[in-house]
Amino acid sequence: MKYIALILLTWFSTNQVGQEIYVCKNAKISLYSEAPLENIDASSAKAVSVFNATTGDLSFSLPIRSLQFQKALMQEHFNENYMESDKYPNATFKGKVSQKISGTQDGTFAVNVTGVLEVHGVKQNRTIPGKITVSKGVVSLSSEFMVLCKDHNIEIPQIVFKKIAESIQIKVAATYEAYKK
Amino acid sequence: MKKSLLILLLTVTAGVAFAQTKTDSASTDSLLNSLGGSEKSEPVIATFKSTRLILSQTTETVKKNNLNFLVVHRFGDIGGTDGGGKTLWGLDNSSDIYIGFEYGVTDNLDIDFGRSKFEQLIELGLKYNILHQTSDDHVPVAVTLIGRMGLKPYSVETNVFDDYTNRFSYLAQAVIARKFSSKLSLQISPIFLRNNLPFPYIQGNEQNIFSLAAAGRLKVTKRMGIVFDYAHPFSSFRKNSTSPYFYDASGVGIEMETGGHVFTLNFSNAKAISEMNYLADTESKWGKGQYRIGFTITRVFDLNKKHKGTYK
Repeated sequence: MKYIALILLTWFSTNQVGQEIYVCKNAKISLYSEAPLENIDASSAKAVSVFNATTGDLSFSLPIRSLQFQKALMQEHFNENYMESDKYPNATFKGKVSQKISGTQDGTFAVNVTGVLEVHGVKQNRTIPGKITVSKGVVSLSSEFMVLCKDHNIEIPQIVFKKIAESIQIKVAATYEAYKK
Repeated sequence: MKKSLLILLLTVTAGVAFAQTKTDSASTDSLLNSLGGSEKSEPVIATFKSTRLILSQTTETVKKNNLNFLVVHRFGDIGGTDGGGKTLWGLDNSSDIYIGFEYGVTDNLDIDFGRSKFEQLIELGLKYNILHQTSDDHVPVAVTLIGRMGLKPYSVETNVFDDYTNRFSYLAQAVIARKFSSKLSLQISPIFLRNNLPFPYIQGNEQNIFSLAAAGRLKVTKRMGIVFDYAHPFSSFRKNSTSPYFYDASGVGIEMETGGHVFTLNFSNAKAISEMNYLADTESKWGKGQYRIGFTITRVFDLNKKHKGTYK
């Protein structure tokens, strides 16, 4: 009894029971759109994410400037003319996962995450489908969804509209590690 | 006794842990923020849309493996004796035409080549962006250094070019720019110009001219802005000369960006496009109608390997 209690005590105090928090500091986010003249694609591996498996809270933050384009001029225009990254430096998502996921239970779960997507300073309520995989205590997440430029007040001028698609496909991939205080 | 103490401790610890579950759900945000997100200090980009304003070069350089192609044009005098309806307000004449290429060796270093109609000047230069302004103002300005060499290849009847080195001119310039907001960017540049043969070739003219230029851009919309440019050569010869009179070069215009192109439509009193020419020889005056319509077209070509998808 004494030993069990001691073990439990240590476990409680060190492991913070009930607090299954996972973090990812190098989530990959890429965007892609196909347009008649020019495909746009960019990717970043500098997004950060926090997943609280206990509460189901899931959040992402992507520094817009970290998105790397192949064409330097396209990257400059993306930041300067479209995303206005000096005013709106981050794109964020804050939501809740539809079902309870535990880091101790292996498996692949198709989930819906409902929350607020903020891009270019404009918030949109979204339900985004994704896949959470738990394997030997490693939690990873992937998702694919579309963002419409007009939903986030991203203007495409008439003169260049052929170059840019009005909907952008976003891909997210994150591998989490348990958060240690 | 020991047992009950342990149980008590256990309950308290478990209780604390349980209580934290509630508070921590709200602190996911602060945890996310503490993980990083955007960098505190980023280099400021797009201080200017192009490598040139009207008269001045900007701090911007052409990025690696990109080629910037420029066509700059100055028409004839709008007013005065050479202007008016008979020349369609100068549109019949071209004071100067400049065709240039700027190639990005690295993201910060360009090699530039161009040719002017004015004095048939051929120029070769290097442009190096040595300092980037940062978003946290740790570095408050961007600095670009420019070195150019000019050659006048035309043939003359006189013996002024008997010594071939007399055909050369050299220009050293530092451009210091600050993007004050997404709308307003200003720059100032000290320029040193050396003409081996004083230009224009008049008794008393100096070989070396030090000048100071100021220029800026105020964006009206995201893709259109007002640009202005002014240059003052510190030259006692130019100040005192009465035949001809010399004036400071200045210009004002609008700048438009459409994807890879940047257009500038402007008015200026300077007839010449190259610094080597307009700093040394601007004899036209706004007040006498000796100003002209001009335009600049720049187009950036990306010579990097065929755009391959990084999207997987």
